[in-house]
Amino acid sequence: MLDPQTVSFTLNGTPTELTIDASELLVDVLRDRCRLKGTKRSCDVEVCGACTVLADGLPVSSCTTLAVDIDGKSITTIEGLAKDGKLSRVQQAFVDHAAMQCGFCTSGMVLATTALLEQKPSASEEEIRHFLRGNICRCTGYIKILEAVKSLV
Amino acid sequence: MSDRLSPPNPDHLEKVTGRTQFITDIEVPGMLHGKVLRSTVPHAMIKSIDVSAALAIPGVVAVLTGADIVGLNHHWGPSLKDRPLIAIDRVRYVGEPVAMVAAENERIAEEALDAIVVDYELLPFVTEAAEALEPGAPLVHGNHEAIKDFYFKGEAKPVAGTNIFQRYAYEQGDVEKAFAESDRCFESKYEFPMVFHYAMEPHCVIASFHGDSLTLWSCGQSPTAVQKVLSRVFDMPLARIRIISPHIGGGFGGKASVKIDPLVAALAWKLRRPVRVCLSISESMLTARRLSATVHVRTGVRNDGTILAKSVRVLMNGGAYADTGPAVAVKAANRAIGPYRIPNLSLESVAVYTNTVPGAAFRSIGGPQAVWATESQMDEIAEALGLNPAEFRNRNLLRRGEHVRADLRPIDVEMGEAMDIAAQEMSRIKALDGDNITYDGTALGISDPGIMPVASVVMRLKIDGSVAVISNSVEIGQGVRGVLRKLASEQLNQPIEAIEVLTPDTAIAPYDWGTGASRSSLMMGLAIEDAARDILSQVAEIAELVFSADPAAVRFCEGGIIFGNEKKTFSELLHTYYGIDSGEIVGVGRVTPYSNGGRLAQAPLFWETAAGQCAIAVDEETGEIKVRHYVSVADVGRVVNRAAAEGQDEGASMMAFGHTLSEELVYQDGQPINATMIDYHVPTIDKAPENFVTVLIESGTGPGPGGMRGMGEGAILPVAPAIANALAAGYGARIRELPLTPERVWRAIREKRGS
Repeated sequence: MLDPQTVSFTLNGTPTELTIDASELLVDVLRDRCRLKGTKRSCDVEVCGACTVLADGLPVSSCTTLAVDIDGKSITTIEGLAKDGKLSRVQQAFVDHAAMQCGFCTSGMVLATTALLEQKPSASEEEIRHFLRGNICRCTGYIKILEAVKSLV
Repeated sequence: MSDRLSPPNPDHLEKVTGRTQFITDIEVPGMLHGKVLRSTVPHAMIKSIDVSAALAIPGVVAVLTGADIVGLNHHWGPSLKDRPLIAIDRVRYVGEPVAMVAAENERIAEEALDAIVVDYELLPFVTEAAEALEPGAPLVHGNHEAIKDFYFKGEAKPVAGTNIFQRYAYEQGDVEKAFAESDRCFESKYEFPMVFHYAMEPHCVIASFHGDSLTLWSCGQSPTAVQKVLSRVFDMPLARIRIISPHIGGGFGGKASVKIDPLVAALAWKLRRPVRVCLSISESMLTARRLSATVHVRTGVRNDGTILAKSVRVLMNGGAYADTGPAVAVKAANRAIGPYRIPNLSLESVAVYTNTVPGAAFRSIGGPQAVWATESQMDEIAEALGLNPAEFRNRNLLRRGEHVRADLRPIDVEMGEAMDIAAQEMSRIKALDGDNITYDGTALGISDPGIMPVASVVMRLKIDGSVAVISNSVEIGQGVRGVLRKLASEQLNQPIEAIEVLTPDTAIAPYDWGTGASRSSLMMGLAIEDAARDILSQVAEIAELVFSADPAAVRFCEGGIIFGNEKKTFSELLHTYYGIDSGEIVGVGRVTPYSNGGRLAQAPLFWETAAGQCAIAVDEETGEIKVRHYVSVADVGRVVNRAAAEGQDEGASMMAFGHTLSEELVYQDGQPINATMIDYHVPTIDKAPENFVTVLIESGTGPGPGGMRGMGEGAILPVAPAIANALAAGYGARIRELPLTPERVWRAIREKRGS
């Protein structure tokens, strides 16, 4: 264990300050300390994308990110996308296209898509496939996910 | 491909906002966290385990080892009683649980694992099925205790003094005579690898003993099987064991029957405090995997393409514990038959123990292994006879109502229709795409779902017209809650918003066999039909009593009942009946082998099938296969939720892309060398075909409500042989070993060109 450190960041728009152990992973801090369980843990090795969150708008794997490294950043988790009870357009597209089954990859998939469309509002199919390659879904076969994302560009 | 959007699904709203409570999200007050120390050696006697240093770590509460469980009924298994709760004196595979630490948090528990010292005395090991069969091979188990009718009907047939835990055989006609009379005989061997389920949520269980009762929050697909095993292990009445099954992040069979529940319960039993054990994905990879298989197929044909005889010999690697392997072996044999008229048929399947991760059920158990072999060979025979593969298949196809096997239910679909649709759809896609650079391959798969017609449901019609549907069907992503909701809405003629499908909980939900084998929508649908009849008869009786209604004339209408010209709300009916403005009607629905005049008793309940056609292109520089288009066609009887049903076939097909192109758990020196998600590659989104068409035929011929049959597994069957057939057709390279890795493909093409 390392010495406790203070980390200040914006979490879904709310300024947040936590005293944490320097070795704590972001996924654990979000799930266990911040009680935001929508961020999912699967592969532990930055391969599957289930734990994706946005740091200053860019997708990062929270399973391999030290929580101390998000100091000063703005973090968005799946809980931060819907505003005033209204789904974001990416969330709405996933619902409309039934682009999920078990739902365990959905948080990461929706956040990665959000980041993609932020950067490239008219992403080509090739760009979509390339960008989302770091998010595994074992249930849907990706077909309905592709339909959902393509409906937004 | 769907142009129809899904109806609003409350599950989806929860999932897309991150609010769904999965098993790994659940917290029970006062719970500790457990971590598992696993064997690092493939086969050994445990000489000693020193846990003293681990126990001295602050925050560690207890350590469980085999020494703790000697007073319990410590061996269990769904088919053979071969598995200890935790290793007692011997380990049989790398990854076997040897000790468990319970601590205040996961990190402390994990650190404490490093402080445990295990002294092993190594034993000779065997990881290959063929080697496990040889005389003098190390025996993984000293004796075999098969248990009858425990989980599956019947019992496994192990062979004493060998590693064989299941042997199955079937004969019809005179195979040897038919081979002698055949113009040509074809014989080949096909290899199918060990593959991992990779449900994205790892296995997780929370167990809590309180007083003389036990409650488990389980990731299991078969809550009543978990309950039964725990009842035997702890010698507790079933009624004191409660299994709660929240949302599960995928299963695919890797969480079917019983997996880590007894292990976690044993730790809770020692602690007498709630404990949560959540595996890592790497640990899940050491928990269950598909049985690898070597399949020998010999087929005798006339020169005109008529099949006279087929002999199939399957050898399966079942790993260190039999688990559901005995059933997988039987199904692999049956699923090798295919939708063809084979007058002389010989099937044999043998499953053996090895010092590897236990083999277990995986989507269409035994099916992909068998169909890989037989449908590859169909194309090889067609080529040798100079026939078009579709024409060769057509010549031998069974028509609806003909027998696949004399003792099984006749086939209830037209496979020729499905194959034709697949071909038409592929032509349409290619024309639209302007594609003239890909090569096509086709395969057909049929499977006999292992469905016991045993299910029950409780439906509680509340005075306000809302309805609680209470069953043990577990939501693992297949959408069963949505389907049951719709079926209950239809059967009770109530708006869908009035129906709530509750979280499975054995304390309130009646017995069901389990969630798997494409059974839940169908079985629970039939049970809902029965429960709706029960509610109607109670309501009619009450209406006669309080409103002098003719009970035979009573029907459901929205929010109430109608009889003759009269309409009453449920509230009016029950208020008048009970005297207070409260109450409910409880309906029970059952499915048994005697239901529907006994028509459900014959196996299989229905045939689950798929026709698959792919179009591939190979990068000849690298050997990488790109599947550009794929068509999946199946007669599912009736579609209840189109988007969910299509999603099942799309997901099953893409899952098969994995075992076809990249997935294989590799053993070297007794060690699984790629059992992490860094080294084990499942399909990613860039591998999805450019065009994917799912056709669901609604023939209305299934045994369920509205003529539905089960689905969700069939589409996995044709993919591997279809792709291999396309490779052979386009590049002349016939590969009989999966996965079709770039290296294998590159070498095969080069060898073909070289010759």
